[in-house]
Amino acid sequence: MTAGEIGEHASEQPLTALDHPGGDSISAHPELTMSDAGAAVLDGPFTTRQLVRLDEALRLADEETGLTFSVYVGDLEEPVRRHADKLHKQLDGAKQAVLIAVSPNQRILEIVTGSDARKRISDRDAKLAALSMAAAFAGGDLAGGILSGLDQLASHAGRS
Amino acid sequence: MSVLSTVLIFVVIPVAVVLIIAALAMAGSDRGQRNRRYRPGRPYDFQPIWFLAAPEQVNRATDRPGPDRRALHGHKPHAIEGHAIEGPVIEDSSGAPVLPGPTGGASDRW
Repeated sequence: MTAGEIGEHASEQPLTALDHPGGDSISAHPELTMSDAGAAVLDGPFTTRQLVRLDEALRLADEETGLTFSVYVGDLEEPVRRHADKLHKQLDGAKQAVLIAVSPNQRILEIVTGSDARKRISDRDAKLAALSMAAAFAGGDLAGGILSGLDQLASHAGRS
Repeated sequence: MSVLSTVLIFVVIPVAVVLIIAALAMAGSDRGQRNRRYRPGRPYDFQPIWFLAAPEQVNRATDRPGPDRRALHGHKPHAIEGHAIEGPVIEDSSGAPVLPGPTGGASDRW
């Protein structure tokens, strides 16, 4: 590898903000290290700590059950159920995917389980999780509700 | 102790201390952060967020063109799905729609 190659690589994917010697370090421009979507999430309703906990909960739920858990927070088009189904279909391996769609404006939440996931999380279990999530949301605890819902769904699904 | 110095010590100085502490407290509190919290009934005007443990698992139909997004279009839903025959909405005794199709789940309001 030559010095020229390093320079080319750096322009393709900037690892530091040192475009010219003596410039700022990457810690002065944290937005360069994340995608547009990542930067938008930081402007959202969740604190950094809540985001970290959500990420951890999703990862643990995925690992323990072998299903794909996913959480959508945002407006849903009417009819809500069909929109949630459409989002669920966009997931890779939708049969094994579980989508929790929360619309704080419409004050509605949908849990969509794929055909395989439905065998492990019955509709009754999903309804139980939905009830506890709705209770938390009614108290204004968006992140806590999602976390407890994920926890319930994952424990109902059991280990893979 | 004259009246002037009494007033100075017991009124002006405590008031000054109180004002300084109040100003520091107002400057220190991060009000913008607290207002972003969701409260039921208040408008929620944030961008939609979609969380996944592995973000590459989502096939986004509507995303901006970009070199790194190309891999996400691995398998798009077939066009036939748009023309699927849709049966009438079945309702149970309480009027709640029975979920059609293979997907299950639940819904709730608050």
